[in-house]
Amino acid sequence: MNTTTLKQTIRAILILLLQVLVLKRIGVGNSWLWQYGDIFLYPVIVLLLPFRISRHYAILIGFVIGLIIDMFYDTIGVHAFALTATAYARGLLLAYLEPRGGYQLSMSPTIISMGLNWVLTFTVFSLLIHTLLYFTAEIFTFVYIGQILLKTLVTLILSMLVLMGYHLLFNPKA
Amino acid sequence: MNNLLQFVIRYSAFLLFLLLEVVALLLVVRYNENQKSIFVHSSSKLSGNLYKLADDAIQYNHLQQTADSLAVQNAQLKQKIFNLERSLQRLAPADKPLDSCLLEPYNIIDAQVISNSINQRNNHFTIDRGWKDGIRKGMGVISPHGIAGIIDQVGEQYSTAISVLNTAARISAAIKRNEYFGSLIWREIDPGHMILEDIPRQADIIVGDTIVTSGFSFIFPKGIFIGTVDRFWTVGGSNYYTLEVRLHEDIGRLDRVYVVEFTDTELTTE
Repeated sequence: MNTTTLKQTIRAILILLLQVLVLKRIGVGNSWLWQYGDIFLYPVIVLLLPFRISRHYAILIGFVIGLIIDMFYDTIGVHAFALTATAYARGLLLAYLEPRGGYQLSMSPTIISMGLNWVLTFTVFSLLIHTLLYFTAEIFTFVYIGQILLKTLVTLILSMLVLMGYHLLFNPKA
Repeated sequence: MNNLLQFVIRYSAFLLFLLLEVVALLLVVRYNENQKSIFVHSSSKLSGNLYKLADDAIQYNHLQQTADSLAVQNAQLKQKIFNLERSLQRLAPADKPLDSCLLEPYNIIDAQVISNSINQRNNHFTIDRGWKDGIRKGMGVISPHGIAGIIDQVGEQYSTAISVLNTAARISAAIKRNEYFGSLIWREIDPGHMILEDIPRQADIIVGDTIVTSGFSFIFPKGIFIGTVDRFWTVGGSNYYTLEVRLHEDIGRLDRVYVVEFTDTELTTE
């Protein structure tokens, strides 16, 4: 395991801890807003995977991280379902958003390598897929389509703020 | 065959994606169907210990507050016990000692909530007691101001409970004043209210009526205060009222809870 991989593994663990110990707790309280939304920071682990990581690995990593989150959220399979799809969508989005010169394979999709606008677009589409699928799988019927969309919207906005905050604050290099 | 192989290789990422999605969906469906988890759950040692660690750190800030509220509860309980014993002494036959008249069907285990949620569709909370402490699946969990949930998964040191804010929860509850009873369920989104269904139309109900546990199941003892009626209505030509009950307990702030074990073997074997 080289240093970059090690660093990314440690970062992933820290983000998971932050998600289940801090962000999950924020949802528990009195404010009406939290009844409709959650804050998902952990998809950033998949989104920050270096360009060279193959689709297969990304999908597997997404599934495993989703299961870990499920264990802490007591939502067996729901986060795994959403994050696997997000990891698959990452491949499609990367192909769609590929700049003319192609990607520098050793880099990760960060603000430093791709610029703020690119990261913003990439993140918002990935998170949209993630939250929409998460609430669809959680509620598990399209009868409550209004509720699904409302929860998706609130969660998407909250998560985008935290996720972009993470990018701007820590400005990860890899 | 060669074509098939090429197809598999070409679309291997997509096929892997499909496979894992099917696995995830099976987990979701199986879990939704019978509320049985398979192997990943927060009653496990790993997540339990982690939650416990974080909760300990947070608890430290609330020590004084917690101690105060526990003292108040203690005083209330003492008062209740003294009054009950005094009433019993009057009722019990004079030729028998009081001790032999006391039934002790309930066993209460105190516990601390170390993880909780209220904004999901099926909410759970985790407590720091497991089968080592006598926790078993199906026991009721009560809180200082009402009811909290029902034990679901039991690990060695930690257990998870289905919160009352869970679409799978169904609790037998009654109107205290006239003892009409129905089942209490949660209709999502609003963590402050639950719905009491199947109250017959002949029941007279006033907004503000007290709702308590009915005692018809062995999960919760009779007469635990749950909340008050906010409003009530009938659906179409139905013969039953539906009541919206404002919960007295703030489920989002669960902290100290009590697990109720019912040990009256005469009754439970019936």
